Amino acid sequence: MEILAYILISTGLIFFLGTTIGLLRFPDFYSRMHAASKGDTLSTVLILLGCICLVSTQGEMNWLLGLKILLIINFIFIGSPTATHAMMDAGNKAGAEPWKKDSE
Amino acid sequence: MLLVLVRAVKGPTVIDRLVAINVIGTKSIVLLLFAGILFGQLEMFVDIALGYGLLNYIVSIAASRYYQHRRCLEPTHTANGGQPSRWKS
Amino acid sequence: MMPSLPIWQFDVLLLVLVVLFAVVALSIRNLMGAAVVFGAYSFMMCLIWAGMGAVDVAFTEAAVGAGVSTVFIVSTIYNTSATMRSRPGGIAFKLFIGVVVTLAGVFLLSALPDFPDWGDPNSPANATVAPYYIENSIRDTHVPNLVTSVLADYRGFDTLLETIVVFIACIAIYSILRIETAKSKTDEPEEDTATAPPSYDPSDSLIVRQASRFMVPFMQLFALYVIAHGHYSPGGGFQGGVILGASLILLAISFDLKFILRQWREKPLMLLVASGVCLYATVGLACMFTGGNYLDYGSLDSVLPNDRAMARSHGILLVEIGVGITVMFSMLAIHINLASNGRFDRGL
Repeated sequence: MEILAYILISTGLIFFLGTTIGLLRFPDFYSRMHAASKGDTLSTVLILLGCICLVSTQGEMNWLLGLKILLIINFIFIGSPTATHAMMDAGNKAGAEPWKKDSE
Repeated sequence: MLLVLVRAVKGPTVIDRLVAINVIGTKSIVLLLFAGILFGQLEMFVDIALGYGLLNYIVSIAASRYYQHRRCLEPTHTANGGQPSRWKS
Repeated sequence: MMPSLPIWQFDVLLLVLVVLFAVVALSIRNLMGAAVVFGAYSFMMCLIWAGMGAVDVAFTEAAVGAGVSTVFIVSTIYNTSATMRSRPGGIAFKLFIGVVVTLAGVFLLSALPDFPDWGDPNSPANATVAPYYIENSIRDTHVPNLVTSVLADYRGFDTLLETIVVFIACIAIYSILRIETAKSKTDEPEEDTATAPPSYDPSDSLIVRQASRFMVPFMQLFALYVIAHGHYSPGGGFQGGVILGASLILLAISFDLKFILRQWREKPLMLLVASGVCLYATVGLACMFTGGNYLDYGSLDSVLPNDRAMARSHGILLVEIGVGITVMFSMLAIHINLASNGRFDRGL
């Protein structure tokens, strides 16, 4: 169970590294947000799942704690993509230009 | 997280900064839980993390709604300082 | 099992991040960007306090500074201009400002060696009053969370005045911004958003609305849990009230502001803001009627069917509910005032 926790947390950290690199390197606002949202949500969910596994190995299983972390995962899973949708919509309405391949 | 802050600093448009702050907020929840694990008392920190996860969402929605109404990324000097905004659809 | 990292590295990292965020927030010209980065700075402060072990303060800072306060600033920028104008003045002026600020900073920092050590048992705070609270709080009030018992019972007057300060802030914003335009007195045709054409509101979005409808009941339930469980876990009246207010603000910004205004009209809202403070003061008066001092909850044991310590615990709960009510409706009233620029009809 502990090894599973470490695997999950390290996978989450790898995804977060990918998110950060994507956030820095993409040429356009829309693609940056795409990378940020997907990678960020997924990495957070993985790390928090790893935290649940860690918590269950410390002494006896504290169900309330695991349930609360599951609630955090739930809200981030629903809230973060919705916030990305709202920001993408705002960027679109406010007139941010998408990047075209020929206009460098 | 420092690298994400670079994007917040550099971001040519304001919405880039908004995205970066959203990512920093989500990662800070994870950081709070790590702090709880380091201290050994995770029960206290889970409540704060839960509360902040809900509030991070509100800030993103509020800021994006501002841009949806304003329809303009660059700040405009309102000619009549302080009067209520126009509602051009 | 877990590798024990030294905690000071975590603190140093957070301090560096706080300074970085503050510098970034101050140097961005666009006010919206600065506002959002300021919210993140606020959350870094919350992390520092959580790192120090002050979880109640961290909770309040996360809820107020990083959540609701940023929404207030965005609403204000929405109704005013969004640029920081460059200040006139040459290099000499800036040099003068730099020297003054540096001198003030050096003067403040020179008091640093005089502080007591971290967690010193002989410091004035820890040597005189704190041992009494630590030893006697559970016996006197049956409340394991020392912060709540000190805040609401041993130092009840201070919390009453803090609640009044929140109330005064709400009234101040209300009295400065609220204008009764002539248009609001005539019969304006009620715009029914259900039959209006879909492109009327530029920020109408089904996804955001449905997600907010999903999240608001959980937020309110969690906030009620925070208020009621403040005896045993970090929380209490202020934090729960702010999260309750934030849930209503979420409804206001994801649906239209008119949606909230239809349900919470101006007069009942203001009355409810005042009723929380009145509840707090009434509990104090009830203590006087049952024979004790003002805000001495122990004398409520003649009314409540418990012994003296449990009566104090129930008194703390009643007082926290009062604080929560005031803070919740203050947040909503301030948001409506700021977002609609005082007109109470449309806004962010």
